[in-house]
Amino acid sequence: MKIIQSALAGTLESSDLLVKIEPNEKLEIVINSDVNKQFGQQIRQVVEETLAQLNVDNGLIIIDDKGALDCVITARVQSAVLRATKEQAQWSQLI
Amino acid sequence: MIQLTFKTLSSIKDQAVLDSIKNLLQSVDLNLDPQIDNFIIGLFEQQIIACAGLDHNVIKCVAVHPNYQGSSVTLSLIQQVIELAHDKGLYHLFLYTKPENIDLFKACGFYPIVELNNTITLMENTPVGISHYCQSLIKERKPDTCGAIVMNANPFTNGHLYLTEQAAKQVDWLYIFVVSEDASLFSADVRYRLVKEGVRHLSNVTVLPGSPYIISKATFPSYFLKEQTLIEQSYMAIDLLIFRQYIAPALSIAKRFVGTEPHSEVTNAYNHAMMDWLQSENKSTSPIIEVIEIARVRHADEVISASRVRSLLMQKKYQDVHALVPPSTWAYIEQHYVIKNQ
Repeated sequence: MKIIQSALAGTLESSDLLVKIEPNEKLEIVINSDVNKQFGQQIRQVVEETLAQLNVDNGLIIIDDKGALDCVITARVQSAVLRATKEQAQWSQLI
Repeated sequence: MIQLTFKTLSSIKDQAVLDSIKNLLQSVDLNLDPQIDNFIIGLFEQQIIACAGLDHNVIKCVAVHPNYQGSSVTLSLIQQVIELAHDKGLYHLFLYTKPENIDLFKACGFYPIVELNNTITLMENTPVGISHYCQSLIKERKPDTCGAIVMNANPFTNGHLYLTEQAAKQVDWLYIFVVSEDASLFSADVRYRLVKEGVRHLSNVTVLPGSPYIISKATFPSYFLKEQTLIEQSYMAIDLLIFRQYIAPALSIAKRFVGTEPHSEVTNAYNHAMMDWLQSENKSTSPIIEVIEIARVRHADEVISASRVRSLLMQKKYQDVHALVPPSTWAYIEQHYVIKNQ
């Protein structure tokens, strides 16, 4: 999927995360987390897997994480990507 | 944790509301900024205990009542502002705050760009904004001694042309940044194109579109206020420090050229600020940039300026305009103004 516009998903509330996506030539992921030391690597892995599942290989993905669970991270990244690509979600394939 | 109710105010007509916002700002040593077009207020038991203003893509006047300060109130407040900006199609956001609050806003996803004398800091909501911009500049980098001119060129005149030709003689390579904020009579695209066409005959000049980091509503909001002479020294300093610390090093710019400014108070003040913030050793640890002021070229005993051209356009004195602009600008004006008015 091609990232064609900026998009947001999520919040800055505790246990949530804010995902910002912008068009970018290559794929670049920046993670800013309260729990970066313990979970930074795991968060990155969840984000990368979610993006791979959606066939996203471009875009600047900025994550402000407030200690969200993996399932929340996946959901927020999916919403942000779908908003940034203007594509209809194929939910049966995502769940 | 307290539950706040948030409201967006696009213009504040209620004097009582305005007064409580002013009081709230005062309690954290801030004044109301007249350029704010939207306020988010946070209410608790019918009292305004938090507020944040949005001026185009810049968040300012953020205050939380001292009794309710804590990161969760600030987080929800900033969250509201981010969503408001998002609804307006503004994604790249800037934020002014005092340096002691940097950590608080880092937690909201903002990253510091420059700090001014422990008084004010400009932050942006991306960790890679300014660095990505500098990387894009580095692609344009030329060897040897480089100079720069930042111009609005509203529109490009013989005055700009003269300044460019004089500057290009004094350096190996010259970069022209065309202010990209769309707040002028001529649109950013047109201004950029006319500058490009106007300097095509010079072989050592690169014209670059501006960015939010050069004389934009984020770095220098008072530049875009036409009717008002309020000049914010700190905004000029922020704009010039970004130039000195990020833009100039990316392109090895050692000189910045500027025309003398006899008319506009804002531009004249900016020229003076430039001498100070770019040239003083003690203003920044980044290398100094020599500021070279070039006397404006005259026509019929008056200096040529874009504002004079605009005023002649308004008066439909097209033949007078013709004498002040290069052929490329004239071609555009002839097509869009002269014919339209016949």
